[in-house]
Amino acid sequence: MSQQTHRISGGLIDRSSTLGFTFNGKPMQGHPGDTLASALLANGQRLVGRGFKYHRPRGIFTAGSEEPNALVQLRSGPHQEPNTRATVTELFDGLTATSQNHRGPLEFDFMAVTDLLSPFLSAGFYYKTFMWPKAFWEKIYEPIIRSSAGLGSLSIQEDPDTYDKGFLHCDLLVIGAGPAGLAAALTAARSGAQVILADEDYHAGGRLNAETYDIDGVSGSDWAAQTLAELSAMDNVRVMVRTTVYGAYDHGVYGALERCTDHLASSDGKPRQVLWRIYSKRALLTAGATERPIAFGNNDRPGIILAGAVRTYVNRYGVTPGKQVAIFTNNDDGWRTATDLAAKGVDISAVIDARDIEPPASVAGAAVYMGSSVVDTAGRKGLNSITLTSGERLETDCLAVSGGWSPNVHLTCHQRGKPQWRDDINAFVPGGTLPAGMRVAGAANGALSLGAALRDGTDCALSLLADVGIKGKASKAPAASDEAHASSAYWYVPESRARAWLDMQNDVTVKDIKQSYKEGFRSVEHLKRYTTLGMATDQGKTSNIPALAIMAECTGKTIPETGTTIFRPPYTPIPMGALAGRARGKDFRPYRLTPSHKWAEDNGATFVETGNWLRAQWFARPGEQGWRDSVDREVEMTRASVGICDVTTLGKIDIQGKDAAEFLNHVYTNAFLKLPVGKVRYGLMLREDGIAYDDSTTARLGENHFVMTTTTANAVLVFRRLEFARQCLWPGLDVHLISTTDGWAQFAVAGPNSRNLLSKIVDAPFDLSNEAFPFMACSELTICGGTPARLFRISFSGEMAYEIAVPARFGNAMMGVLMEAGKEYDAVPYGTEALGVMRIEKGHAAGNELNGQTTALNLGLGGFVSKKKDCIGKTLSQRPELNRDDAIRLVGFKPVNHSQPLLAGSHFITKGETANMANDQGWMTSVAYSPTFGHSIGLGFIKRGHERKGEIIRVVNPARNIEVEAEIVSPHFYDPEGGLQRG
Amino acid sequence: MADFTLTAEPFLGRFEQHYDDVKLREIYDVAVVSAAIPLRKLTAAKKAVSAAFGVDLPEVGMSALSKESDMRMLRLGTDQAFVVFPRAQQDTGAEPHIANLLDGAFYTTDQSDVWVTLEISGTGARRALERICPLNIAPDAFSIGAVARTSMEHLGTVIIRTGEDSFLLMSASSSAHSFSHAIETSIANTA
Repeated sequence: MSQQTHRISGGLIDRSSTLGFTFNGKPMQGHPGDTLASALLANGQRLVGRGFKYHRPRGIFTAGSEEPNALVQLRSGPHQEPNTRATVTELFDGLTATSQNHRGPLEFDFMAVTDLLSPFLSAGFYYKTFMWPKAFWEKIYEPIIRSSAGLGSLSIQEDPDTYDKGFLHCDLLVIGAGPAGLAAALTAARSGAQVILADEDYHAGGRLNAETYDIDGVSGSDWAAQTLAELSAMDNVRVMVRTTVYGAYDHGVYGALERCTDHLASSDGKPRQVLWRIYSKRALLTAGATERPIAFGNNDRPGIILAGAVRTYVNRYGVTPGKQVAIFTNNDDGWRTATDLAAKGVDISAVIDARDIEPPASVAGAAVYMGSSVVDTAGRKGLNSITLTSGERLETDCLAVSGGWSPNVHLTCHQRGKPQWRDDINAFVPGGTLPAGMRVAGAANGALSLGAALRDGTDCALSLLADVGIKGKASKAPAASDEAHASSAYWYVPESRARAWLDMQNDVTVKDIKQSYKEGFRSVEHLKRYTTLGMATDQGKTSNIPALAIMAECTGKTIPETGTTIFRPPYTPIPMGALAGRARGKDFRPYRLTPSHKWAEDNGATFVETGNWLRAQWFARPGEQGWRDSVDREVEMTRASVGICDVTTLGKIDIQGKDAAEFLNHVYTNAFLKLPVGKVRYGLMLREDGIAYDDSTTARLGENHFVMTTTTANAVLVFRRLEFARQCLWPGLDVHLISTTDGWAQFAVAGPNSRNLLSKIVDAPFDLSNEAFPFMACSELTICGGTPARLFRISFSGEMAYEIAVPARFGNAMMGVLMEAGKEYDAVPYGTEALGVMRIEKGHAAGNELNGQTTALNLGLGGFVSKKKDCIGKTLSQRPELNRDDAIRLVGFKPVNHSQPLLAGSHFITKGETANMANDQGWMTSVAYSPTFGHSIGLGFIKRGHERKGEIIRVVNPARNIEVEAEIVSPHFYDPEGGLQRG
Repeated sequence: MADFTLTAEPFLGRFEQHYDDVKLREIYDVAVVSAAIPLRKLTAAKKAVSAAFGVDLPEVGMSALSKESDMRMLRLGTDQAFVVFPRAQQDTGAEPHIANLLDGAFYTTDQSDVWVTLEISGTGARRALERICPLNIAPDAFSIGAVARTSMEHLGTVIIRTGEDSFLLMSASSSAHSFSHAIETSIANTA
């Protein structure tokens, strides 16, 4: 068991309880309130990982979400999660963490040899190396690079955790619960606004928990706790800790990730994380600022930590990252680290300030070096000394570095806001066009002192409330000091000869920036991409500004002239599982069941997904060897006697209104104005561009009442287009639409005995005779002793057939009744496969033929486009190109050798010609084995098809290397005269 | 001659589940009839509603209970409303009944079997709906009687606030199981 050798007094941790955890299998201890990083430091563990490219030893660099170095794998087995920042990982009892990106032990990474190859791995090396020999790229170079790249590893098992999403609404969203955010939230909440206060930390308060400032006479952390308690008790406030607002989107919508159980050993069946969509009337970004480093030689060693982070570990966690700390700064804030550490009794060996000014403070026992810098460091697995510009070498195990603070402008850029430079704080602040409704306050807006942040938060809240018509309760901002934070524009130590790191996550150095300039890169966007600066998961939070400054120096321009890259969502990484949410496995999308689903399940159906529907594909019977046996039987029995198929999935649209007939006359290519009541008519609809998009039947139930059916696939599309036509094209027509697809359970009853079967269930005195109810008749009636029903004499199979509909709640029973009534006729249920076979035998077009490329002419339905009236798509269907003499036409195909199967997707080539695109004559759209004819049959489009019946054509499938010869025939294989369906 | 009878089956088998502070149940005996207002006939439609139900035609986004509180009219759009009412056990004539009541002033369509209706109630109802309902249903933003069309887990849904902490949720009957599963998951995730 490791000892907490670096634990010191104080902090916001609960020392009354001890938590056990392991790092690389080594048992360690921490306390509630610790992060993994603070607990590792408390246990004296400085080395926590290896660098991305050179595998150099890396330690903890920050104390927040900007961490580029301390990325670890958490948990084990299927719960394993790589690339987790130790600095924001809340410690829990039993936590297991392992380091990543090394081969062999962390301390002796075999891949560290790449550090010796660094001269060959500079910026853009992958554009320059591995170019020769060409053949090596795919087989040797790429596999090696891929296996070396990346940091952690996935478990390659299904994630056992669950995730959820949700929706929240508020008047004011406050992003960040530091001093400005708390002041703003308090002001808005006391004014009665609906407030959401979100913070990524589990202990809200921001820097107040890391500093020793007072507010209104109490310590900052106590003030934060009191304020949070007040806010949490208010009904109009939702305080969301462990919640990162990661993206700003249109219309005041923000994305946020709440980590619900990451701090627990087990999720206990609850969602691990929730992805929230927050609808805000206004938003206030109070995300604070991030400290940036100064680049100097070998500045990436474990033990070199940002100065503000060192303060955080000392003040918040009661941990000192080193026993003998040195401080290197270019600003006043760095001195605060010295005074805070001194107050805690931490031994400070030196304060080195790059500015040649009077020391801003005195630090007992510390040597002070003004106008000096750190040029190099030593200590392979952890810092043990630093070297100054003077050449003096100082022993130290922790170097606290401060290069000033950069406002966290990230979310202001999510809609192309361009940050603007402020010379007085040497940093970019929000600029350009911010997301609508957003304002920025506090350090995120460049108000870097505590007093200024509190005032800014309060004022902005009042202003935003006024925007949404809420009278803010005038309140005085909490009082606090305006501490000094003057800084200098000192970004790197030019005297350093060793590599000086800027982007530690992607291993980008000062030299890389300079080299990219030498190679001609001038735009910051190009610089970013060439060097990969800021392109790691931390998005360069600590590295971007120093790198831009160096680029500016190279080009001889100012930083604002050089410009900056902008940020995109997410602010910090979002697990893929959270983005997927519930949409996994069977919950990937909703599914729809036909009314007779249960009956089908009980009777051996195999189901197929058609859109969201689950439809019976076939009904297997004992002894059948495969699906073809079942399908062939279903076709044969239907054609021989009677078959029943649930066709509820076809879209149904109820159309009513005085002008309903005229409306239909406009949307269909063929005439509907004079369709008699009690009759059904087949119709074809075109898109505006003249392409056919759906065919269907429409029944006239009354003078002003029609019921349209659509194909299953296009049910929604047709409804949407009809609504568009109704509302936008012809708003003067009195016509109303409503979907009834789900309301009616509809069954096709097909075959020579279909009338006999139905006659057993229709209530008297309904007359089913051919004279009283002929082909294409329809009627409302009752069946089975009073159940309302609709009956349509239509046929998709080519047989004498009906479609009968009952209210959906009777659907499952109806299937049973139909089968019972059909028992004496050997009635058979049939699925979508048999349905498809029979429609191909009959030559009906379906989705394969209505594929968004074909016209009425192509489909052989040119005659359906009435010359006497206009309709949607008619004008553009008359384009010459669509009416060429050699246009493709829908025809049938049967193999010359009946034992050979046809294949859908095959192309037609004239005999004697080469099979290439130039000679392509068309393609096969649908094929089936026809039990009726005993061989394969197909439908397809071929040039001048209607004139080529009897011709033998090559049916070529280069993808499968199959070719057969087929005869071009009529698409209507079965009962071409239509006598059967007319009864 | 008919020797057969048909038995209606609730889409969710009369589903009912009680959680700590949430109750979820299928309202299976509900009839729904859509009533579309003919073009330029709003005045006549208003009169008909007043005569039939003893209340004013509700504004879009609101519903109104009939004078006898046995029928609720939902105004879903400028020219569309639903009438929702209990369906008598053997009554299969919801649409003619409403058409008759409204005296032909609306175009009516039986929607009873188009929708599955769930009632979610209890102090935890809003907390659960937060996980699935994109709309703001806070008490002061979505008053009792308010109605809205929205989408929950990709499923079109009509939501009606019927009480202090109770809501009716109507969604397509064919996806009733997916819908109820989604609501149940929301309750379980927030319990």
